[in-house]
Amino acid sequence: MADADPYQRLGLSVNGWAFAAGSSARQTARLLTRGPVQGEGAGPDDVIVDVVDAGGMVITSAPLSTIKVDPPIGSAARKLHFPDRALFESEDRTGIAALTGETYGEKLNRYEALHPRLIGFVVAAVIGCFIIWKYGLDLLVAGAIALTPPIVVEQLDRGTLQTIDFAMSAEPTTLTEDEQARITAIFANLLAELPADDVNDANFNLLFRSMEKVGPNAFALPGGTVIMTDQFAKRFPQDDVLAGVLGHEIGHVVEKHGLTQTYRSLGLYFIIGFLAGDTGPFIEDILLEGNLLLSLSFSRKHEAEADKFGVSLTRDAGYNPAGLKLFFLEMSKKGAEPVEWLSTHPNSTERVKQIDEYVDALE
Amino acid sequence: MSDLSSGGTEQFEFRGKAGEWFGIWIVNLLLSIITIGIYSAWAKVRTKKYFYNHTFVQGRNFDYHATGGQILIGRLIFIGGYIAFSLIISLVPFLGIILVLGLLVLIPWLIVKSMQFNARVSSFSNVRFNFVGKTGRAFVVFVLMPVAAYIVIAALLGGGGMLAFANGSIALGAILGIAGLVVMFIAFPIVDKAIKQYVVNNYRLGNAEFLLDVSLTPFIKAFGFAFGWIILILAITGITMGGSVMGAFEALEAMENGAPPDAGAIGLLGLLYVMFFVAFLPAGFIYQALIRNTMYNNTTLTGGHSFRSTVGPAKLLWIALSNAIVVAFTIGLMLPWAHVRMHKYLASQTFLIPGGSLDDFIGKQVEDGMSVADAYTDLEGVDFGVPL
Repeated sequence: MADADPYQRLGLSVNGWAFAAGSSARQTARLLTRGPVQGEGAGPDDVIVDVVDAGGMVITSAPLSTIKVDPPIGSAARKLHFPDRALFESEDRTGIAALTGETYGEKLNRYEALHPRLIGFVVAAVIGCFIIWKYGLDLLVAGAIALTPPIVVEQLDRGTLQTIDFAMSAEPTTLTEDEQARITAIFANLLAELPADDVNDANFNLLFRSMEKVGPNAFALPGGTVIMTDQFAKRFPQDDVLAGVLGHEIGHVVEKHGLTQTYRSLGLYFIIGFLAGDTGPFIEDILLEGNLLLSLSFSRKHEAEADKFGVSLTRDAGYNPAGLKLFFLEMSKKGAEPVEWLSTHPNSTERVKQIDEYVDALE
Repeated sequence: MSDLSSGGTEQFEFRGKAGEWFGIWIVNLLLSIITIGIYSAWAKVRTKKYFYNHTFVQGRNFDYHATGGQILIGRLIFIGGYIAFSLIISLVPFLGIILVLGLLVLIPWLIVKSMQFNARVSSFSNVRFNFVGKTGRAFVVFVLMPVAAYIVIAALLGGGGMLAFANGSIALGAILGIAGLVVMFIAFPIVDKAIKQYVVNNYRLGNAEFLLDVSLTPFIKAFGFAFGWIILILAITGITMGGSVMGAFEALEAMENGAPPDAGAIGLLGLLYVMFFVAFLPAGFIYQALIRNTMYNNTTLTGGHSFRSTVGPAKLLWIALSNAIVVAFTIGLMLPWAHVRMHKYLASQTFLIPGGSLDDFIGKQVEDGMSVADAYTDLEGVDFGVPL
């Protein structure tokens, strides 16, 4: 063996550059292969890879089996990491391929290359994104809701209530104690008809506020806080109407519409960032806003669900399930309403029709 | 060894190509979807590696060494921890309060560990970066200082407002309000400067240390320009359409109560919405560009190396805006092109002024550190990678 020039034995010579272990000095170098000599710790099928500088001095040397070859990426130079942490880089891809054969990641690199098949990938990715949006998101939202600690939801209620009090200039209620007690009793009657699980799951609490600007209305917060305006209680004092609207709000809480809406908007935004990478500040804002528009249409579905829930609950509690209708009839009398897609709520005439159907279905 | 201490300026260069990056990006996307997100760990590595490998200065490039497996394990542990945390809070609310307080300490710790991991798996010219910041200081700059500043500003502004409106002491209220604004103008730059210095001054390239030596003035100026822009746009909006805006709000309120829709009012509110973006988004770019320049222009690296950044706020805004429009009209398919365009611009405005040879950095062997922390900052949408 000693008579042969070791560099001729496998005939490989690849030009590139090298960095010695732990050094930033970039030097022009050549990679050469030879058979192992005794005591180099290489198996019989292994070859020894030497990296030599322009003057022929060996920078590093190791059996091929101990060298870590980085998977190729784009048109970047191929990188070989030696066990002593020296690095050899080369743009001679065929040379490296002759040495290493097909390495880990090479197939991936080929599929990533610009090629008409990418059109197929684009189509598949678009379909995949649609499926995630249509089905995956709901699963994710359900998981997120299950994982949200009640204490967080209670905090959310407290914060939202403060915002409502401030932003909608709510004043303390002007209803008499008797009046409040009467409505609270209706609320309790409705809750009594709920399954115990649903009652324990939320922290139901009815509050009254005077809100001149908001007018006759009621809201439900995700944790179970329900707010009714004095304006509502005065305009619709009938038990059946009060029960109808409270039942509707309880429906929002039990079916977790508030949390669902929040998580849907956030979820889509996160998934896109996660899958597609940084979308930049403008697109990020558009995504959040766009989701808001989408969540409005979702909210119409929620309103319809809550109507249905409310109608059934009020009937179970012994009230006239058509009470909710009165409220909407009253609202729709006031004149033309904003077009449906602009609004978070389906228009009143539509809802009255729906409620009639629910009531019919119950009888 | 080559000696380049002749005072030359080396421009950073991004050699990535949109077409090439598109192929990698779409395969990343598709495989991530097919594997219900698992591949995204490898996709992250490929993304980082592509951008680092194609960023050059003086013919040397950057590299990213984390493996998909490392990232995936980090993410799994993080998700597991989060679920455990939620369960404990749900089941034992009392323990939850202690845990929430613990988060105040845990978050700065995670930020430090994430910066450490990201630095250690990144290299330039075969030498790994490192981050040596301590959690105590991170707690001060990321939690204590911002919270203290917020409390003081809120107290002054809130107190001022209360005195002016509730008690009728307008003069005293105004003084408190102005004091609040002044404190904000100083506190925000102080906090941001502390954060930037904490990050840069604890960064290492091998044994070489980065040093950000800068006064508060450029931070106050950048904040002033950004804030000034917002005030300017809001003032213009207020003067030109102030009266009609109030009218529009009233029309909207009437609509909510069932009045017929008023197209003019809706249009005006749309315009108001646009003005909101015109006021706030450019302000962000002004601040970002000015601070980036300030940071690079005042940072040195052991060995007499210094940096220069010449990013223009208007140009940065233009690239981001036109990118966004193109991406939106191509259902996201031009996103890789937008990434490359932005990187090319930022690299072309970044310079290294070598004080000597770049051959003299010496690498130190350290463990990669915790990928769990990286998962945390990924989720938060913060990128603590090498700021290129």
